[in-house]
Amino acid sequence: MAIFKRPGKARRATLLPIAVGTITVGAAFLAFAPTASYAQSNNPSSLSNYGYTGSYIYGSNGHGNGNGSITNVNLDPSTIPFGKSLFVENCASCHGNYAQGSSRAPNLQGLGAATIDFWVSTGRMPLADPTTQAVQKPPRFSRSETLAIDAYVTSLASGGPAIPNVNLQMANEANGSELFATNCAACHTITGAGDALASGVYAPSLLSASPTQIAEAIRSGPGNMPRFGPNTLTDQQVANIAKYVTYLQKPVDQGGIALGHVGPVTEGFVGILIGLGLLMLAGLWIGGKAK
Amino acid sequence: MIVTQATDWFDERLGIAKFTRKSLNKIFPDHWSFMLGEIAMYSFVILLFTGVFLTLFFVPSSKDVVYNGAYAPLRGTKVSEAFASTLNISFSVRAGLVMRQMHHWAANVFIAAIVVHVCRIFFTGAFRKPREINWLVGTGLLVLAIVNGFLGYSLPDDLISGTGIRIAFSIVLSVPVVGSYLAFLLFGGNFPGDSIIPRFYSLHILIIPALIVGLLTAHLAIMWHQKHTQFKGKGKTDRNVVGVAMWPAYAFQAGGFFFVTAAVIAILGGLVQINPIWLYGQYVPYRVSYAVQPDWYMGWLDGALRLMPSWEVQAFGHMIPNVFFPSVLLPGITFTLLGAWPFIEKKITKDNSEHNLLDNPRDVPWRTSVGVGLLTFYVVLFFASSTDVLANSFSLSLNFVLWAFRILLFVVPPIAAYIAYKLAKEASDVPGIGKRKRALIISRSEEGAFSTSESAPRSIAHEEIIEELPEEVKYHSVLDGTEEYVMPTAAAAVSTVINNVSVDVDLGPLPSGGSGVYQIPRSPRGSAPNGRSDEQDHQGDLDE
Repeated sequence: MAIFKRPGKARRATLLPIAVGTITVGAAFLAFAPTASYAQSNNPSSLSNYGYTGSYIYGSNGHGNGNGSITNVNLDPSTIPFGKSLFVENCASCHGNYAQGSSRAPNLQGLGAATIDFWVSTGRMPLADPTTQAVQKPPRFSRSETLAIDAYVTSLASGGPAIPNVNLQMANEANGSELFATNCAACHTITGAGDALASGVYAPSLLSASPTQIAEAIRSGPGNMPRFGPNTLTDQQVANIAKYVTYLQKPVDQGGIALGHVGPVTEGFVGILIGLGLLMLAGLWIGGKAK
Repeated sequence: MIVTQATDWFDERLGIAKFTRKSLNKIFPDHWSFMLGEIAMYSFVILLFTGVFLTLFFVPSSKDVVYNGAYAPLRGTKVSEAFASTLNISFSVRAGLVMRQMHHWAANVFIAAIVVHVCRIFFTGAFRKPREINWLVGTGLLVLAIVNGFLGYSLPDDLISGTGIRIAFSIVLSVPVVGSYLAFLLFGGNFPGDSIIPRFYSLHILIIPALIVGLLTAHLAIMWHQKHTQFKGKGKTDRNVVGVAMWPAYAFQAGGFFFVTAAVIAILGGLVQINPIWLYGQYVPYRVSYAVQPDWYMGWLDGALRLMPSWEVQAFGHMIPNVFFPSVLLPGITFTLLGAWPFIEKKITKDNSEHNLLDNPRDVPWRTSVGVGLLTFYVVLFFASSTDVLANSFSLSLNFVLWAFRILLFVVPPIAAYIAYKLAKEASDVPGIGKRKRALIISRSEEGAFSTSESAPRSIAHEEIIEELPEEVKYHSVLDGTEEYVMPTAAAAVSTVINNVSVDVDLGPLPSGGSGVYQIPRSPRGSAPNGRSDEQDHQGDLDE
């Protein structure tokens, strides 16, 4: 007895081995699917030092810290003349020779080294178009040039946060994740991917920010971002957030291709276009066509 | 031999031979678009399998625990048992994550397949008499699938899904008069609450799947009983079904397709990350993440919420909450309209005859155009649920994107409907449309003259010959139909001895035993012959 009478139809019998082969691959993956393994693992015993060391009173003599999780970068006074020449060349046309501000740009005196360093080191300053939100671009100055500009502007007036140097070894990721969810995710999204806010303003992606830039942004509140002073977040907490954001830049994507960490939008497209799309093509292959 | 004995044993007790014989001979029209519903059904089977696996490890509880599992960045934080157990499934249970991701992908594919299946039914007019009941059952299945998808998405108690529950709670609250009672009844008190996750759990894994299984069984049984629709074509009429037989051809086709579905979902589940709840963290009411979207099948509702202007509507001296219109009224109208469509169309066309031959979408331009218009409306709403992602990706102002969608929502559907109407009209006027085109052969003679001729039609060897199923014959056993049969003219029989009296039972046709194309007649339903009186036996357009 011939199950497949017609040679044209016998082709369909080949479907089964192919399907069985594919499912075997799937099953093999399933059987060998990796279990827990982490790039970033904290020693659990260190969880006890949550480091809520007493909050630091802001602005008295400089920028000390609780337990060394954040240390201040000392600016070299000898670089001030070099910084001044850079400032006059690149910044003074809007901010004025002494950073006193103009009708086009704000006064920078007394804003602190962290503020100046953040804007210059993220490439947002110098600004091409002052009418829109400053966009992040490759920084124009090297690290030493940036520090020289910081030194010059800081020398004009005292006050403001210093440039923080974050010691990630002493920071706690888990506490950072909770603080991040509470304080940052409402704009930057929970994965740090950033998103559009109202009227053309956006919360930038955090995925290329350095720990120092993260701490500077928290302390200085650039643009629309609120400023979180030491009475709101301690140095230790800032370091914890910086550590968690650093983790988010290379998170555990245990499940495979991450799809940009923007959640169900991309997942839906993959499910419909690739998942259902492949199945419809398979259906087209198996089923009959118009005759 | 053992098989024969076993089947005989069952047949003597249950009389299954006749049904089995009939089932093995069931004719399935062979067209790829008939596979769409199968994708949905097979995804549902995968949902059941992976879901059972997940229930072994998931703890449906809002009780606080300190997480101390394998995922380092959350160790030492306070999470709910539901969240902690989902983390454990993802990181500590062998194959747990791939199962979780397959379950989620299967849900996305399941509902997508249902939607495409509904489109197929709609645009080909397969819902017309006598299939209105099955259309209603199918509408119910779509609603249940969406609801169950949302419930399952909410179970891990992560930041994103918790925001979703918060929105759902507000939506229920917005129902005029009974809103607060209804919300407290469904959620067991105010939001947030300890009973939400356990309730969602029993709904998600027990009550709604049971309803889906019940309705799906009814859906299939009705389809089985009424027999498939079929596209117009050679030898196909309103009174027969032409296609391949269940055994062996279709069984292999469908079985293979199940494996393909399982494979695609396993590949997605194994390679593409979905819902990484460890990055989202535990839901806490005072925390919120920007850019929160629901899964795609809720996207149109989310989009409607985003696009709704902040109007405050007063009625009977009370304000009707703004949320009510996009999130209660819109889905209410949507699913009522969807379920009622066969009856609405009947009102318009006044057509009460039975239809087993499908329309080509171009044959009924007005229905196609209405369908395209409505579908476009929901597609625009669906895209509106990603206003923030679109604004961010294309560096546009969020407000601009929002207003663009508000305008597009009312501008695009009529345009799409108009284009669909024009295209359908145009297409149905083209002579020979839908027929296989023959190649034009340009030849040059020795003198240099060119001439064109059509290529020969496909060789007859590939033409499918439609055979009648063999008429019945003496029955020996279900699987062993080759033995002792004679071709009788009258319907034949099994001789079963009951109380020493020999009773003949009509068993219907023999197993086809082949993978050719067969036809079987349809029996008209009902006693009123008015549907059949006007010789509906028109042959398909393509028939010649």
